[in-house]
Amino acid sequence: MKIAYYLPEKTFTNSDFEKEFPDWNASKIEEKVGIRQRHLVSSDETALDLAVKASELVLEEIDRNSIDFVLLCTQSPDYFLPTSACILQDRLALNKHCGALDFNLGCSGYIYGLALAKGLLSTGVAHHILFVTSETYSKHIHKLDRVNRSIFGDGAAATLLDFNDSLHIGEFVLGTDGKGKVNLIVETGAMRNAYNTGFEEILAEDGSFHSPNYLYMNGPEIFNFTIENVPGLVETVLLKNKITIEQLDYIIFHQANKYMLEYLRKKIKIPTEKYYNNILLSGNTVSSTIPIALKNCIDEGKIKTKSKIMLVGFGVGYSWGATIIDFN
Amino acid sequence: MKKDEFINLLKEVLEFTDKNLKENSNLKEIEGFDSMSVMAIIALVDESFSKRLTAQQLSGITTIRSLMELIGSEHFSE
Repeated sequence: MKIAYYLPEKTFTNSDFEKEFPDWNASKIEEKVGIRQRHLVSSDETALDLAVKASELVLEEIDRNSIDFVLLCTQSPDYFLPTSACILQDRLALNKHCGALDFNLGCSGYIYGLALAKGLLSTGVAHHILFVTSETYSKHIHKLDRVNRSIFGDGAAATLLDFNDSLHIGEFVLGTDGKGKVNLIVETGAMRNAYNTGFEEILAEDGSFHSPNYLYMNGPEIFNFTIENVPGLVETVLLKNKITIEQLDYIIFHQANKYMLEYLRKKIKIPTEKYYNNILLSGNTVSSTIPIALKNCIDEGKIKTKSKIMLVGFGVGYSWGATIIDFN
Repeated sequence: MKKDEFINLLKEVLEFTDKNLKENSNLKEIEGFDSMSVMAIIALVDESFSKRLTAQQLSGITTIRSLMELIGSEHFSE
């Protein structure tokens, strides 16, 4: 299993925040939300461009002709059609004997991609998979929405998986609750509601912004959702994999924000030394937070070959999932 | 839980330790009350009373008393 990630060049720090919103105390963002800077795409850069860059990094020193499947997880495709993964195949000059598909998920995306990859590999449908998560929520967020601008960052991660890797991916627990639709949504611009400049745009007192044309996130409801579902998800995935927290080497949750993650850690009783909670320099990169954390842990020596790791994703949809991997 | 104890816990999680809060203090009018404050209240109520308050319920609170009533006055003693 090889992982690489790419964050776009432009950064937006808490100091930049204070310059743009002088009446807002941005120093608290680092303390409470755990973020000091986010990376943002430029206006002519897309999630697909980030996917290409992350893929090039992971394909270094690899024979790219061996790739026979491309999975791209994004909620910001270049077009409604054609599939962005097809364009990715072309831009990376991969073999034409490749399957390719996009799937639309956010914070749970990495878990679902691993589940799809395991299925494709263990059945022999694919042998060498390029699995990319890539997101540009910045393009969905209104410039006056301080709250969401403080949380989300753009970025992409690419993971290479082969048959051997699939043997080291354990059992999955997945879940969905579509009632969560209203709490994390961009309402217009796709097939249900057309983008319309006539909508009312509301700037709330807490700095959040409501407009059907832009990302809306109900923070407290999402927090409730995670408190409601994540502890049980962790318990179930441990049982299903016949393992305990004590036997795990490391645990990586989707890095939503420092506060929520610390609350979950305490509630589920995970020791600090085996728990990742760091989005200081990247922000919440949605489906890439887990692979970015994995890569950082590998580079820092926190995760080694044979490390048993629990991965837990949860969020927009609502969608959630978890698995245990033996790092290979 | 004693009401005073709850108010102290609230002050702690909201980081309002320098403020003099009473039952009839209006939380939303306190400077610095923001979306993180709402998350902190959700966490406190979950941890202390194993109760989940929805965002809609929380949007209706004003005073600390109204929060305690939302949690359920049976949980509090003088």
